[in-house]
Amino acid sequence: MINVLAIVFGVFFGFSLNKAGLTKYHKIVNVFRFTDLAVLKFMMTALVVAMSGLYALRGLGLLTFPNVPATYVLGNLVGGLIFGVGMALTGY
Amino acid sequence: MKFILNYIRKEEWSPYVAGVLLGLVGITAVWASNNLLGASGAFENFAGMLGKALAPALFDNMYFNFIMPPGITYGVLLLVGVFFGGMIGAATSGTLLWGKRDAANSDAQLKSIFGPQVWKRWLLAFIGAIILEYAAGIAGGCTSGLAISGGMLLAPAAFLFIMGMFASGVLTALIIYRRRY
Repeated sequence: MINVLAIVFGVFFGFSLNKAGLTKYHKIVNVFRFTDLAVLKFMMTALVVAMSGLYALRGLGLLTFPNVPATYVLGNLVGGLIFGVGMALTGY
Repeated sequence: MKFILNYIRKEEWSPYVAGVLLGLVGITAVWASNNLLGASGAFENFAGMLGKALAPALFDNMYFNFIMPPGITYGVLLLVGVFFGGMIGAATSGTLLWGKRDAANSDAQLKSIFGPQVWKRWLLAFIGAIILEYAAGIAGGCTSGLAISGGMLLAPAAFLFIMGMFASGVLTALIIYRRRY
């Protein structure tokens, strides 16, 4: 059951990424050139919707959170710094 | 109804609409399967599985035994879905380039920066992907798995990652584009 759900969520995930244009090189790179902020708008909208929804549902006791990604300041920062290079290079 | 169908056929949605869709999918994923949406971990799960089969001694280490368990995990199946979801998205807007000539090399801006050769596109994608996957391994996730999925649980890691990503991304774009920035 959970495997079917994974594929279904994946389909919607990929669909929204495609429709937002995040599958295109120029969309990703232009956000770093500040000429097209679609990626940022997309990410932040998703974040705001999901975080308010999730915290509201948890407050109502309808769901529990999975493992929250671990915080280790140096790793997250250095990883992010290297990731940005790859992202601006390939437009992933 | 007709309006919705027409909107689905549009090639490019408003990022706000697509963002709301992704947010709702994220909520449903946590609610129904207690899992986060992520992409980069799946490659490591899959690579770990291949590695364990081909060179067990090499892959018998801390990372593949405990941090990234090899096998067909939730993430791998999610990624299969992402592939088809992206294809459906392109097909509904009529921009699916499957099987067409030069399909992997169709971005005009990329051509104007790196030249029109196909091998350059592949090489760039290959090198960039190595950097991306390596960095995602260090940070504990990529844009979707850490920045979006972690951010929606308000994990500090996600925001540190976004900070780093934009700092170096802007710098890299500056170096690549120079005067055209």
